[in-house]
Amino acid sequence: MKRSLTKFSVLTFLCLLFFNSTFAQNITVQGTVTDAADKSAMPSVSVLIKGATTGTQTDANGKYSISVPANSILVFSYVGYTRREIPVSNQTTINVSMSSASQDLQQVVVVGYGTQKRRDVTGAISSVKGDDIARMPATNPVSSLQGKVAGLTVVNSGTPGASPTVRIRGINSTNSANPLYVVDGILSDNIDFLNPGDIESIDLLRDPSSIAIYGLRGANGVIAVTTKRAARGKTSINFQTMFGIQHVTNKIDVTDATGFKKLYSAQLSNLSAAPFDFTNYTGNTDWQDQILRNANINTNTLSISNTGEKSSTLLSIGYNNQDGVVKYDNYKKYIVRLTEEISLNNNIKVGGNITGFRFTSQPSPVSLNSAIWASPIVPIQVNDNTYYSMPSFQRAQVGNPVAALNNRSNVSVNGGYRAVGSIFAEVKFLKDFTFRSTGYIDLGFNNNRSYTPLPFRFVNIGENGAANTTTFDQTARTSVRQEQAEYRSFQQDHTLSYDKTLEGGHKISAIVGFTSIYSASTTQSGSRSDSTVNIPNSPDFWYINVANASNPGNFGGAGSESSSVGAFARVNYSYKDKYLLNATIRRDGSSKFAPQNRWGTFGSVGLGWVVSDEDFFKSIKGIDFLKLRAAWGKLGNANGLADNLYRPGISNAGTAVFGNNVYSSIQAAYIPDPNLHWEVVNGTDLGLDMRALDNRVTAQLNFYNRTTTDILTSLPIPNDSRSYFTNLGKITNKGIEVSLGWNDKIGSDFTYSISPNFSYNKNVVNSIGDNINFQILGNGGVNKTETGNSIGYFYGYKQTGIYQSTADLGKMPRMSNSLPGDIAYEDVNGDGVISPADRTYLGTPFPPYSYGLNVTMGYKGFDMQLEGQGVSGNKIYTQRRTSTFAVLNYESNRLNAWTGGGTSNVEPILDNSRGNNYLFSTYYLEPGDYFRIRTAQLGYTFGPSLFGKTGIQKLRIYVSGQNLKTWTKATGYTPEAQIGNILGGGADNGVYPVPAVYSVGLNVTF
Amino acid sequence: MKLFNKKQLTVGITCLTLALVAVTPGCKKFLDTDIQGGYTADNYPYPSGSGPYDVYINAIYGDLRSYNVHADGFIVATSIRSDDADKGSTASDGGSDVITMDNFPVLPNNGRGNALWTGYYGMITKCNTALDAIANNTNIVADPAVKAQAEAEVRFVRGYAYFMLVRLFGNVPLIDKVFADPAAQSNVAQSSPDVIYPFIEKDLTVAAAGLPMVPPAKFPGRLTAGAANGMLAKVYLTQKKWGAAMGVASAVINSGQYDLSTPYAKIFSEDGENSKESIFEVQATASSSRKTEDGIQYASIQGVRGVNDFNMGWGWNTPSPFLEAAYEANDPRKARTILYASKAGAQSRTLYNEIMPLYPSEVPNERYNNKVYTNPSFRSAVNDRGGWWMNVRILRYADVVLMYAEAANETGATQEAIDKLEMVRARARAGNAAILPKVTTTDKTGLRLAIQQERRIELAMEHDRFFDLVRWGIADDALHAAGKANYLNSRDALLPIPQTQIDLSKNVLKQNPGY
Repeated sequence: MKRSLTKFSVLTFLCLLFFNSTFAQNITVQGTVTDAADKSAMPSVSVLIKGATTGTQTDANGKYSISVPANSILVFSYVGYTRREIPVSNQTTINVSMSSASQDLQQVVVVGYGTQKRRDVTGAISSVKGDDIARMPATNPVSSLQGKVAGLTVVNSGTPGASPTVRIRGINSTNSANPLYVVDGILSDNIDFLNPGDIESIDLLRDPSSIAIYGLRGANGVIAVTTKRAARGKTSINFQTMFGIQHVTNKIDVTDATGFKKLYSAQLSNLSAAPFDFTNYTGNTDWQDQILRNANINTNTLSISNTGEKSSTLLSIGYNNQDGVVKYDNYKKYIVRLTEEISLNNNIKVGGNITGFRFTSQPSPVSLNSAIWASPIVPIQVNDNTYYSMPSFQRAQVGNPVAALNNRSNVSVNGGYRAVGSIFAEVKFLKDFTFRSTGYIDLGFNNNRSYTPLPFRFVNIGENGAANTTTFDQTARTSVRQEQAEYRSFQQDHTLSYDKTLEGGHKISAIVGFTSIYSASTTQSGSRSDSTVNIPNSPDFWYINVANASNPGNFGGAGSESSSVGAFARVNYSYKDKYLLNATIRRDGSSKFAPQNRWGTFGSVGLGWVVSDEDFFKSIKGIDFLKLRAAWGKLGNANGLADNLYRPGISNAGTAVFGNNVYSSIQAAYIPDPNLHWEVVNGTDLGLDMRALDNRVTAQLNFYNRTTTDILTSLPIPNDSRSYFTNLGKITNKGIEVSLGWNDKIGSDFTYSISPNFSYNKNVVNSIGDNINFQILGNGGVNKTETGNSIGYFYGYKQTGIYQSTADLGKMPRMSNSLPGDIAYEDVNGDGVISPADRTYLGTPFPPYSYGLNVTMGYKGFDMQLEGQGVSGNKIYTQRRTSTFAVLNYESNRLNAWTGGGTSNVEPILDNSRGNNYLFSTYYLEPGDYFRIRTAQLGYTFGPSLFGKTGIQKLRIYVSGQNLKTWTKATGYTPEAQIGNILGGGADNGVYPVPAVYSVGLNVTF
Repeated sequence: MKLFNKKQLTVGITCLTLALVAVTPGCKKFLDTDIQGGYTADNYPYPSGSGPYDVYINAIYGDLRSYNVHADGFIVATSIRSDDADKGSTASDGGSDVITMDNFPVLPNNGRGNALWTGYYGMITKCNTALDAIANNTNIVADPAVKAQAEAEVRFVRGYAYFMLVRLFGNVPLIDKVFADPAAQSNVAQSSPDVIYPFIEKDLTVAAAGLPMVPPAKFPGRLTAGAANGMLAKVYLTQKKWGAAMGVASAVINSGQYDLSTPYAKIFSEDGENSKESIFEVQATASSSRKTEDGIQYASIQGVRGVNDFNMGWGWNTPSPFLEAAYEANDPRKARTILYASKAGAQSRTLYNEIMPLYPSEVPNERYNNKVYTNPSFRSAVNDRGGWWMNVRILRYADVVLMYAEAANETGATQEAIDKLEMVRARARAGNAAILPKVTTTDKTGLRLAIQQERRIELAMEHDRFFDLVRWGIADDALHAAGKANYLNSRDALLPIPQTQIDLSKNVLKQNPGY
């Protein structure tokens, strides 16, 4: 299709026929049209006189000659390139350089069981190029989408290999809000198995008319990934490598030894308890420094592609290695991909691809919280095998973080394999029909072996005059554990499609299809300890049979099975490329529902109007393209729903004991709901796509309104600890998405672009449990979901200050047991006392506003990119500060604790018996707003001329910084709110740090 | 406009029809996936013959060992709230949740309160499920006598659970069946004790009638008619129904199944489990391969908080100095109740002759609960120091005898009261006539005080003290005397209704007065 005159150009040409203007004196203009990128000549470029019937094309050498009025305007157009209009102004030679518009309207986007030109799309679909992902220092490709697309929220994790939390257009369900991933057609819950370097593009499908075709799992939005294919007509080798260092930029600010001693002494004094004997505690340890490190990250991709006359092949190998910033976390990924397509003849094409994936992981044995909680007064260790234990006030609850780290690191062999592949055959027949059958497999095998070593020896530092004592847990035994899991998923898609362009401007493309998915899993685990000998600390021994079968052990095994089928049809119709229609219908069946509730029929309609192609629009200057879109869809959703909840499952319950005899028992595993049925999402979308000022300005604007009814909810039943999954309630998400772009050049060498995006989402729970008086509590009542408010909002007291004196207690509203130094709360209901009725809305954990900004610059071989990204309007719950199970190290805000009248109006007294101060209130909330310099990258590209006969076509080197600077008031390791938990979101319980990454990279093509 | 030619149309329709016809019949089977590695209520291979309902009933017995039923919250609310016990451990350990249980007032957001609520209601739900199965599950074949006994067993536990709830919380929702719409449970309003107590009496009366006198040999500690009558005696006593209490207590006494022959020193140790003293005892066991699964975290919460071999637990629920002072001179029960830490110059030894660690340098508390102290031979056999194998003595014979004495005194049967009181003191004397002289007063008030004193000492650290103080109406005085100045009987006799539960009910549940 490349460089051939399209119907679009013809159409444009025809439209122009209807315009008349007064012709001036004709002159002959000639020139050459070249490609701005490589200065090569461009044949077959359409050259038209604006407003006239006449035109020509460039020849094989890019040259043209045309007779035109001296005052006319020449229009140069070519598929995939930005149209240029140049006034003749009596010039006789006009040489034109045309820029490829890769983000342009002709770009193809994934629309589900097919593709469509962006120009013809009636829904809200955004695309991100693979190159923009591959150059980012991350092993999980999803994390690099952060800030790039309006309406997409990505919460990254610093844990090596971890999948980020992804939300598209807010929270549509209390069940699961995770999007569906579709990789070259196969449905998946994640794309962990992909190498960032293998991705050609990622399309984000957000509106109901775009996602309807995906049926039961697509309702939360779809992230469609297209992997790289062999380039047409050549053999090429590409190698990409990146090396980076990750660094934790902000530790949690906790007290040092001096601060700790001061605060704990004050606390004991407030409890009227005897002072603690610190005499022998001479340490001053920053435990965070001990367990954090600067960590390496490294990604590599080598791909080789070849296209022959009848076949194309792409072979790629990748290796990613990421150390965690918490010692001695590590994650490695090995990926091999093979993609092959063979054209048997003009009508029959077969092909397939297979991705082999291997990962190993070495999780850190130490929790970050233990480093925040451990008292700084304790030194680390005596020798390799003897560590100091924590003081008596936290010895039972908090371990020495370094001891845990050194004892339990590298005592497991964790890893897995995954094979994802497909094979297809495609037959074109009767000119306009295509039948395609594809079979997919997704197989996963995880295998873990681990070892529990003997504990270290610990020195208890002597308190109250006692000498140091060394302890060793005599009851500890070495043990080994093995776990195996197998996941298998089989999918088949069969589609019959029909494409036809008819005279009179009718274009029709239709598809009918059938799909089915079967997923199952089998897991086994076992462990055994050795009570007679100590199993050595070497992986060679870490198998259950190393210990005699007479030793104590535990064994388990489980399985799961589910399936779904769908039949679908879609019609895309356009008239004169101006009026666009997209209609989809899909019927789905899922094994998760009882037979009578199993089936649902859903569908969508999308309409588009390319206003800029209307005659009346021709007179409007400046706007090159304008499309209005409207879409409506109704989708069924069962995303994330567990299997079998409609039937009365039974699980093993606690044993009954009589004397020393043990008897087994059963209980209902959950409360079944035989009427469980589809959650239904109804959505409407209005949108606008515009390009203006010679395509320098691009804009996309979307409004959406999406309502979910019969939400699949886990309803907590008071007085019953079993879960009850049922359909309940209604949620609405409304929002705006704005994406803007400006790209231009200054002079001939300097190009730049600025593209901001912004989105706003408003979430309202319209009803929940109409038949009962109800609300859903999350995270122990901190989050509340009820009719009329946003889902899972923070619900508690508002702090107004601190009671400074007994006089304050007399004149301010208070609780019956309030004392000076306690947090004073707002008397919301105005009854003069503080009671649970004064709890109120304190904010939402889900950021309603998110925004991103991308700036690029290019000068000759140099390129530079700056990315910023942020969210606003949410709150973070500092739950890590609320633990009271032991005396823990204090965060440094407690240094300002109230010690008497006038000392603090924010920080309450140090007295953990004052339960009022642990009530959930704004004291434990902080603003979740942040803005971050996500990426700063500087690169230089060497052209082929430099390398002569080495065969190198292109070579780019770059330096890059990620997460360089974050502006926030949040005090945790990352201001990215933890929103994975829908009903209890936004709590910071010691989140894994999201580090800054400094990297260098190389991308070379032969 | 002609979209398709005729040939195309034919082929298209044929393909589509073929595709749909081919897949439709296959779909039904394809979507009928089954639970893997698990049962449903319909295909569970219910055992037939004796004990067909045991699969349900065993789960209820399992709940009796649950953390939220007879461990953490239970110890804190029944014992640490009283004047006999302190929180223990280090000063700030346990946080406001537990410190306020010791010092009052308990806040509505107290986690232990909510844990108790969910623990007992969880058990009640299991009971209701079992009762529903006994009445309605046609998959289970059982004859009426078996059904009646199973129902009796379940109703004992349900009655007992409500007895705990009504004493802990006062007004509580009465959930007595499996709801057709599970969500309807959310808004069940509270019933007052006037409604709850008759319900408890009914359950326990049915239980007493249907349960055997002696558990089958393979089931030591399984519920008996004696347990039901003994518990019913306490229910009546709490309501000051003296005559009724005497009636059911004498049923226990006259049953011939129980006596006071077990020495006081032996009742609480491993070798005293399920003795002739035992009426209702939560059963627990442990082995080196199952250290905790078949046990209960009861002894470990109260275990000595030392290092190495003495790292036995949290060191909570320590006998208070007020309990220590309450013993008569040379009462041997004191040593069996209070385990002293060694002090400089005063070495203390355990029941098993181990030298206790030093206070304050090696353990943070001077006293620990000796009634939960474990035998070292069990510790080494199980290879664990937590004592999860220790049974929990909920109701024992001396308790019933003293209840009878108390009720008898109130009804004017003074001599019977004196006789029963003397039975308990006689055993405590352990043959030493020089101690614990017989109480001879016939003055009703004097005898009442003597019986109250005897209950306190005989049953010290056995979870009745706080409830006894409240039902005797002396909680204010006793707790103030023990330094708990914040205690306000009008408020603190009951725990606050957990705020979480009020929130879940969307304010259908009402808070107790004073909170």
